[in-house]
Amino acid sequence: MSFNRDSLVALCLILASGGLMLASFEIREPDYGVLSPAAWPRIIIIIIGGLSVIYLIQSFSTPQKDISPVPKKTLKGFVLYWRNVIAVFSIFALYLLALPYLGMLVGNILFSFILLTVLGGWNAILTHLVIALGASGGMWLLFTHVLEVFLPRGSLTGF
Amino acid sequence: MDIFLEALLNIIDPVTLTYMVIGVGAGLMAGSIPGFTIAMAIVLTLPFTFSMPPAQGLATMISVLVGGLSGGLMSGILTGIPGTPSSVATTFDGFPMARAGEPGLALGIGVWSSFCGGIISAILLVLFAPQLAMVGLEFQPWDFFMLVMFALTVTASLAGEHLVKGLIAGAAGLFIRTVGEDDAVGVGRFDFGSDYLLTGFDFIAVLIGLFAFSQLLSDLRDPVTARNALSDRKQVKVKIEHRRAIGILFRNWTVVIRSALIGMFTGILPGAGGSIANILAYDQAKKAAKDDSKFGKGDPRGIIAPEASNNAVEGGALTPLMALGIPGDITAAIMLGALLMHDIVPGPTFIKDEPALAYSIYIAFFLASFIMIGMQSGVLRVFVLVTRIKTYILATVILTFATIGVFALHNSIEDIWTLFFFGILGFIMRQFGFPLAPMILGVVLGNIAELNLARALAIDSDPMLFFLRPWSLFFAIIAIFSMVFPIYQKHRDTGSLLERFFSPLVLLSISLPLFMMGGLLRTTLAFAAIAVSSFIMWRRFGKTKKG
Repeated sequence: MSFNRDSLVALCLILASGGLMLASFEIREPDYGVLSPAAWPRIIIIIIGGLSVIYLIQSFSTPQKDISPVPKKTLKGFVLYWRNVIAVFSIFALYLLALPYLGMLVGNILFSFILLTVLGGWNAILTHLVIALGASGGMWLLFTHVLEVFLPRGSLTGF
Repeated sequence: MDIFLEALLNIIDPVTLTYMVIGVGAGLMAGSIPGFTIAMAIVLTLPFTFSMPPAQGLATMISVLVGGLSGGLMSGILTGIPGTPSSVATTFDGFPMARAGEPGLALGIGVWSSFCGGIISAILLVLFAPQLAMVGLEFQPWDFFMLVMFALTVTASLAGEHLVKGLIAGAAGLFIRTVGEDDAVGVGRFDFGSDYLLTGFDFIAVLIGLFAFSQLLSDLRDPVTARNALSDRKQVKVKIEHRRAIGILFRNWTVVIRSALIGMFTGILPGAGGSIANILAYDQAKKAAKDDSKFGKGDPRGIIAPEASNNAVEGGALTPLMALGIPGDITAAIMLGALLMHDIVPGPTFIKDEPALAYSIYIAFFLASFIMIGMQSGVLRVFVLVTRIKTYILATVILTFATIGVFALHNSIEDIWTLFFFGILGFIMRQFGFPLAPMILGVVLGNIAELNLARALAIDSDPMLFFLRPWSLFFAIIAIFSMVFPIYQKHRDTGSLLERFFSPLVLLSISLPLFMMGGLLRTTLAFAAIAVSSFIMWRRFGKTKKG
């Protein structure tokens, strides 16, 4: 019996179930309707909690199979192993924060160019620029002029 | 007849036909790129269809689906890497045949088998969906609620040894749909004072995040493979040999029909899709062959079986969707999302209430198969070009596209945040071995489950009715057995009690609700189930005593 990654996930799920169950008591109970708005979520939370307990017990009794082994258990090893994923998350989050200021057209061109360059390296910077301009510009034209979708304009860029 | 003509005119409209051709082409491409699944292609098509009339939108999505199901064979046969999980078995004989100097014939057999599988399943869809809808008219809210539970447990049970993770994922999917205003009384749930949470998560943004975003992240994880192209092939000079392929299919018509039926049946089962059907059909073709020595070395039957079955899956998956409003697999779940987006709620009365739309789906299914045949050769050339694009470029362009598509759903930046959050969640779940299919089904069916639970309790507050009504008891029993199934599989060939008595117990248990349903056919089926169960038990008990 050993505490492993699955045990940790199961514990997090049990804690989350507990937290959500507490939060379910904040749901207002109206005087009308047969099924309380909190009833169905509570049933689901109880099921998730129960299953998480089984998952925890299973994790103790089953030998751990590492699905995606991280080679080094140091912070540097972790960052190196997941660097592309971290890059995508970070650039996407920045893009979302900047979207109201840059607008969809400029935002997408910048996002795709930066992401392409970070993932593919600086050697093909011109290719990345052409792809970013072509793909983002093409999609912008398709959505705004063909599908007539109003894409957000940036408060700084104006388009 | 008027309705049929209306539906036909909807589909053969030049704009719809253009979208269908683009859809089939996009599907063929998506299916042929390893790592880019059909479900992902369908999910990404969804935002486009928002501004289209329902029939046009569904015809486009069906075209992507039909193209996607056939696209996997190109990559599988030419590179040995299956384009989609539903064409894994095609590579067993397709790739050896191509390497033996017959790539054109291998592609021809694959293409025509896909076509036949699609057409057979389209015919069966037309025949069976209305019949199943008639049965569905008997369903009351208790039965629908249990049907959703059954769909979730079956999908979770496909996770095999990760059953518990599958069930947690399914329940988490149901929970995601409870965030925001309650549909029945308009009370906010789990909003924690945030307006973003109060509006709830748009489930299409959730689906794209869970499925597409997380898949792209997985593809990009390794910096070396992210910078590689799928293939270094400069060009492929292959001419698809249609005439020889059709001849071989005629000589193996039993394999075609059997495989299509396997695909259709697998598609009807919630959660079971082409990835299971193609292996199952291949296995059956091998077992049924008098001489199976050539299997694995380029036997045509080894290409016919998986391709006919994986294309037949969607006819099966659309049957419960159109008849009961319950999708048979992830792609059908996304189709359900498309229907809901247009305020069309499929159910037993769908075919009767929306006949023009139902016929449009049938016609689109047939037509898309013909378009697929016509486009396969052309797309083959584009396929070679696409496989030369580096993974990170493809992933970045798709991600940008998904972002605009999600925004277009409601012109809302919040939906892109939803895409982002669920992309992270989906990626983490993949890393920890949680299957995504049950969660997606939970997200799609969450509202249906809650609505029917509320309706059932409004009619009668007795919860025991969920186990006393024949259909809900029937679904409850098969839901329980589907959860035990992975344990049964684990104990197969061990001679354990579970192994010996699992199938007779299933038969014996389902005979009870069948008796309760009454009527000549169902009572006869109940007696037959008891007779077969007793026979199996007698034989196995005999073995136990002898042993």
